[in-house]
Amino acid sequence: MGLETQQGGKTQVTLVTEALLVEEKGRYVYCVAGAGEGVSLGKIGIEGGGVYTIPCKDICAVVHNCPPQPYQSDNQEVVKGWVMTHQRVVDTAWERWGVVLPLSFDTIIREEAAKSAERNVKDWLEQEYEELKRRIDKVKGKAEYSVQVFWEPEIIVRSLTFISPEIRRLDEEIKSKPKGLGYMYRQKLENLIKHQMEAEADECFKNFYSRIRKYTDDVRVEKTRKAEPDLQMIMNLSCLVYRDRYAELGEELEKINRMRGFVVRFTGPWPPYSFVEGA
Amino acid sequence: MEPTRNSHATLIDLLDRVLDKGLVINADLIISLAGVPLIGVNLRAALAGMETMLEYGLMKEWDARTRAWESERRKKNVEPICTA
Repeated sequence: MGLETQQGGKTQVTLVTEALLVEEKGRYVYCVAGAGEGVSLGKIGIEGGGVYTIPCKDICAVVHNCPPQPYQSDNQEVVKGWVMTHQRVVDTAWERWGVVLPLSFDTIIREEAAKSAERNVKDWLEQEYEELKRRIDKVKGKAEYSVQVFWEPEIIVRSLTFISPEIRRLDEEIKSKPKGLGYMYRQKLENLIKHQMEAEADECFKNFYSRIRKYTDDVRVEKTRKAEPDLQMIMNLSCLVYRDRYAELGEELEKINRMRGFVVRFTGPWPPYSFVEGA
Repeated sequence: MEPTRNSHATLIDLLDRVLDKGLVINADLIISLAGVPLIGVNLRAALAGMETMLEYGLMKEWDARTRAWESERRKKNVEPICTA
């Protein structure tokens, strides 16, 4: 990085040598895998880094050697590329060893005064061994899926208006009021609809959650987000699912997806990013 | 229904995970920039637009810090670093 802006061969040579020297001082960690092998996975890492494993008993850390500074760039495409590469390396390890504990992007173990980065990785694996094994056991044979349920507020409002006697009554009253009063009534109606929509969203959440829960080993409730203009996210779950049960989950989701005014987004399988910390 | 992995829509799902989740290593062993995930800031800003991200409720803690820092920079009339 930055080499191309240098002018003159000599400066460049010096910089490359320096880069090589500092390169040994950090270990970028992609994941911990459930295998005690020390192997090379080739130059598949970020910026073409050579990825290899540092074993400890029957587990290993999947790493590459890097300078002791985080990867940063103002160029979004570059960063996006790094994140995708991170994910591909985790996927590669996941396919090869069947179980991984992924780390988040840009986790770099550094050296200390008396300890190399490599040593630090080994010591970390050793000290945390029991805990890492426990977490590996938890996610073994499972994958993470993202389940998001959206509704189309317009359709939901229309059906609520249809079924709720309170809303219908208020709606009728408005039509009979003079203009000045009508405004006040419309406000009242809007509040009532808002309130009932919230209650309805709550109901749907509980209903869907209990149906989805059956096909999962564990669930994390994530924050809902703004979606497209005519869709509203009412549920955002990360689900840890046994590999042989995702089709059943898919069938259940299809039932929700077929309900009028509802849309389900089902993505995965992801390495178990949401299930390696806590619990 | 079958799960998908390869559309643009899944990119945000993936980024949420790769940037915000995963195993945490003891802080004194790892390199960080004052705990602020600069890369996450840039990337998400590009993908979702800053305000949308804040509505998502993501990264609230750093937001206050980042804004305070940026407003300090502006007082000093430095060019903003984020051009997006």
